[in-house]
Amino acid sequence: MLKFFVGFCLFIITLRSFAHPVIYKDGFVASSLNMSSYSDNQLLYTFSPNWATGLNHWRFTRDKDNTELGLVRLNYLLWRRNREDSQANIYILTGAGVMDSEIDQKATRDAYMGGFESDWETRTLYAALKYYHFTSPALADFSMTQARIGISPFEAGFEHLQSWFMIQAMTMPKVEPKVIITPMLRFFYKNVLWEFGSSTRGDWMLNLMVHY
Amino acid sequence: MKKAIFTVLCLLSLPTYAVKINVKVSGMVCSMCAQGIKKKFSKIDSIKEINVNLDNKIVQLQTKDAQNITNDQINDVIKEAGYNVTNIERE
Repeated sequence: MLKFFVGFCLFIITLRSFAHPVIYKDGFVASSLNMSSYSDNQLLYTFSPNWATGLNHWRFTRDKDNTELGLVRLNYLLWRRNREDSQANIYILTGAGVMDSEIDQKATRDAYMGGFESDWETRTLYAALKYYHFTSPALADFSMTQARIGISPFEAGFEHLQSWFMIQAMTMPKVEPKVIITPMLRFFYKNVLWEFGSSTRGDWMLNLMVHY
Repeated sequence: MKKAIFTVLCLLSLPTYAVKINVKVSGMVCSMCAQGIKKKFSKIDSIKEINVNLDNKIVQLQTKDAQNITNDQINDVIKEAGYNVTNIERE
């Protein structure tokens, strides 16, 4: 069952990009977030100004054992505030599908995900907080929290390359240290975003996101 | 006959030139996310050109000759793109 999901999502993985939960109506987002300890690959379609759906594959690696999830996702833009010089958002995230775990109970079972993402940004400042909770009979429940702040040294034009310095703090299940800090560089140009960094734990990070 | 001449004169007096519209938008701080504005307006037949200026927070639209777009249509597109219109000015 999991091989089906992995194969079905291969084209998403090769796209290597990183998703916004809900974008503009009728827009597609392909994303891939990759670290040595986990990956998150998504293909989402925003079918209304407040809703997006799609496919999502997760991988968590601990001591060479993998847990993988294949989920159908439904994201909701709960709240947005547009000001002249800023935008703030809160999204509700849900997913349901299958988990295949080599960790703990070694089983393939149904799995569910719930969480939220929130962000605030101006043209030169960025802050975001994300929380995901996973539950499945195949594995003990676990959560992941991620916080980011970023600064851009200049305001780039609409069709110019935008550059950011960012730092991320993340907690992962049963991983030491409990909080992983990752400084990174982020760039985006037109509809393509890419980030790369290296955590204090020595993990590499490479993310990509494309809007269609 | 007089009616026909009057009608022709009225039709000739209608603008045949393109219209420039400046739309002031709030929340437009991310150029990647704002690509949606350009994408959505480019699908509207009456629009010839779209320019997005993040410094002035303005989306400038230019219509094709003798064509128009209503303020309601502009509001709907901006809203679907995830932003709010604060002002519309026509040149």
